[in-house]
Amino acid sequence: MTHPARSVRTALVTLLALVALLMATTRSAGAEPLLDLPDFDALADKASESVNITLDSTLLGLAARFLDAEDPADAAAREAIAGIKGIYVRSYTFDTDFAYSAADVERVRRQLATPGWKRLVEVRSRRERTAVDIYVSLSAAAGAGTADGLAIIASEPRQFTIVNIVGAIDLDKLHKLQGHFGVPDLELESERKLDSRQKRE
Amino acid sequence: MSNDLDSKLRAALRPVEPDAGFADRVLARVRFTGRSPRRLLPWLPAALAASLGALLVGGHFWQQQRERAAGLEARQQLLEALRVTSEKLDIAYDGVRSQSRRDDEENSGA
Repeated sequence: MTHPARSVRTALVTLLALVALLMATTRSAGAEPLLDLPDFDALADKASESVNITLDSTLLGLAARFLDAEDPADAAAREAIAGIKGIYVRSYTFDTDFAYSAADVERVRRQLATPGWKRLVEVRSRRERTAVDIYVSLSAAAGAGTADGLAIIASEPRQFTIVNIVGAIDLDKLHKLQGHFGVPDLELESERKLDSRQKRE
Repeated sequence: MSNDLDSKLRAALRPVEPDAGFADRVLARVRFTGRSPRRLLPWLPAALAASLGALLVGGHFWQQQRERAAGLEARQQLLEALRVTSEKLDIAYDGVRSQSRRDDEENSGA
């Protein structure tokens, strides 16, 4: 005869195993729009200037309350953050060229290699020695043209920047920021040309 | 000797009835001085209430100031985050545009 305590324990262990399996399956099925940004303390120590911004939904809501509706830049910012749940920026400026290691960039780039993240733009300039990649995370729940995450990795000789935006990002809204923060028209047609050219190469 | 002292003391300490006007005289004197323990600090309740009020108003003001400072800081961070984002998008845009221009030149040359 089975001891009741033992049956309860077995049931609990089974349940926990099932929950763990379910969580693992869910996580592998789609990308996490919120990147796990590493601790860049070593980079910050070496940097002459560092920007470390963490704005979760609470802080975004607080910031939105202090945006001036009369100011065009503030109004554009308010428009841009509608539907956004978080903005995370890490940017380090150095006095010498490439004071950061490629490993620092790779640690983040690896997370963007998971299914669900799609590279939208890849820019490599040999002359300027810059590399900028723009990734979007497209969830099944999001509608067409709407991403639930955006990541920008920009490596320049004296600057290393990561931007991670979480939430319903409508690329059209980025267009509306044009002129207020210097955000350009991304001309998605050109990106497709670039993509096809890269494939040909 | 001892009995004599004892009787003298007993006679001296014997209960004596006060005279007829004693109670009135005592009451009259109490009224004249006009002081009762409750009236020693008449301003105390008002001072306590005022202090409590000032504390509440001050606390509310401090909380508002703190929230305002946090809000302005968050706003500043948001604008800075958007500035950095747009700066990097600019670089990407320039790269895409120059690539596109080169493509067009190649196509027109061919």
